[in-house]
Amino acid sequence: MAQQVEPQVLALLERYNPKKIEVTRETALGDDLNIDSVAAMDVVMEIEDMFEIDVPINQVADLRTVGDLVDLVRRQVEKD
Amino acid sequence: MPEPMPGRTSPTPTCNGTLAFVTDGFTTLAQGLDYAAGGETGVNFYSPRGDLSAAVPYAELRARALDAAPRLAGLRLRRGDRVAIVAETSLDFLVAFFACQYAGFVPVPLPLAVNFGGRAAYVERLRGMLQAAGARAALAPDDLLEALRDAARPTAVGFVGTLDEVMQQPATDRPLEPLGADDACYIQYSSGSTSFPRGVLVTQKAITANARAIAVDGVRLRRGDRCVSWLPLYHDMGLVGCCLTPVLAQVSVDYLATSSFARRPFVWLQLITRNRGTISFSPTFGYELCARRAANRADLDLDLSSWRVAGIGGEMIRPEALEGFTGTFAASGFDGRAFLASYGMAEATLAVTFAPLDSGVASDTILRGAPLERARKAVPPAPDTPAGETRRFARCGRPMPGYAVEIRDAAGRRLAERRVGRICIQGPSLMQAYFRAPDATAAVFTRDGWLDTGDMGYLVDGDLVVTGRTKDLIIVGGRNIWPQDLEWAIERLPEVRAGDVAAFAVADEADRERVVVVVECRLQEEPAIEELRREVQATVSRVAGVECLVVMAPPRSLIFTTSGKLSRAAARQKYLDGEIGEIDARPVPAAELPSLAIAG
Repeated sequence: MAQQVEPQVLALLERYNPKKIEVTRETALGDDLNIDSVAAMDVVMEIEDMFEIDVPINQVADLRTVGDLVDLVRRQVEKD
Repeated sequence: MPEPMPGRTSPTPTCNGTLAFVTDGFTTLAQGLDYAAGGETGVNFYSPRGDLSAAVPYAELRARALDAAPRLAGLRLRRGDRVAIVAETSLDFLVAFFACQYAGFVPVPLPLAVNFGGRAAYVERLRGMLQAAGARAALAPDDLLEALRDAARPTAVGFVGTLDEVMQQPATDRPLEPLGADDACYIQYSSGSTSFPRGVLVTQKAITANARAIAVDGVRLRRGDRCVSWLPLYHDMGLVGCCLTPVLAQVSVDYLATSSFARRPFVWLQLITRNRGTISFSPTFGYELCARRAANRADLDLDLSSWRVAGIGGEMIRPEALEGFTGTFAASGFDGRAFLASYGMAEATLAVTFAPLDSGVASDTILRGAPLERARKAVPPAPDTPAGETRRFARCGRPMPGYAVEIRDAAGRRLAERRVGRICIQGPSLMQAYFRAPDATAAVFTRDGWLDTGDMGYLVDGDLVVTGRTKDLIIVGGRNIWPQDLEWAIERLPEVRAGDVAAFAVADEADRERVVVVVECRLQEEPAIEELRREVQATVSRVAGVECLVVMAPPRSLIFTTSGKLSRAAARQKYLDGEIGEIDARPVPAAELPSLAIAG
């Protein structure tokens, strides 16, 4: 399960990537993908439903890059 | 997140058994909680998916607050000291807030962070508030403690910890001296920039007067009412309207965290359905979000027939969006007459006007363009006026008894009905001052003691109609964004000089606000200009979590007042008039012009 996290998150983020920039672990969620605070909650919800986890909401501000998000999801998946 | 209370699997009841329903006569918050503790009602917290995670009768909230109070007092705080508390929607926040009331400290609710990568901006914001409030202690949930510690490092805050850590402190053996009827109650930071936040000092007199007016005159609270809320507890509408007023009226509240609502807005409606909620407030965008997400959700099985007050406030009320909500949820028992328009602000504690109950949102349609913008008159259109030449505004009702609203011109003269001017207010819950900010305080009070809200509006048959919120404030998705915060962050970019930037909001066709940033651009090469544009967008996204439109304008596009202050209002007007444009105004080659003549 944990191995599939990254490709699944990347696939999900494609819908938040209208300019079709190349998305890697280093891509910044806010600065590069321009995900605003309303869309951020949509992303969080989709990730929660996809992986059946709860994302600790207060950690969202610490998530700068796609890699940060992937690592958080991985930690939550392993915890449950 | 609070642990489920052992043995309690159902929420607190809507009605008390024997305790009489009382909304009048309380002189302090502590006294109101003492009284409510005599019954069975209380507060309930729900998970992001709508499961009950804690049900806490007011009696238990009081007991926990009384347990925490002497431990807080043991932190070497003096009476009247400010205790900052990150206002997560949780039992811990309420316990800490009321512990301050019992221990004689002034709580300062602090905001939460919501956007990706927003940590640095969040820490800076917290720090500004800790400094402005002169906080001596600061509390946060475990997962925000590190950010709070970073914020508190260069400040006078002596203790940073969780409520659990406070509970491990020894209790002082001195008798508790609760905040009294002539004391402060809390400080509300809801306006001002990151560097100069303005905190409204709310007194016990103000909160008890406003809560009483809301309960008795505004929504006419009665036995059987139940409040459901997802509003943040660090905003006036969430804290005063959906938390403190219910305490002072022994009304049970079902809480959903704001972030949970943003993820799954339907949980709000499901809680109203399940608990037969009668009162819930939201800015227009909350209703809009539900209606928009409802399209493919026939499976929700909602029954909203119990909802008698669907309050609206906090941003410009958009009647069309509310009609969309009614259209979508009428089949689920929602009655559009439940909509209750209101007007207020933190400087008045919360509410000033309410529309009449059970009548829905009434609107006033007037001519747009020159009559409104130049003559500043709200002129009803002739019957055959095309819709494109008119604008519809919500009527926010009349001032509550004891409150007064006047419309004044720039010189402070009172204006007649249907003349547009500055909304000025008076009433028993007006703040006396921003905390430790005499200049800011002096700037909002008129010489004859009215509060100049900075909002624009007019009166029609005594009803207040708001045509524009505070001139410089940007409100997007219900959040207040101070343009200075955006401008200062952008000015730190290497290619931008101080004074080169103006941020403001413009309304789109649906009256939704949109952020526009004008940058006086000193670059010439197109790739460099585009790179800077992208950086400005990224900066705004990081600082405020919103998208924006960036205009790269030639130098000297912006307008400054004689005292050298940037005039955002003038920049905005120039932008709307098409007088501020892109620096890159090369003529477009004829081949690229759309062939309008042929298409038409």
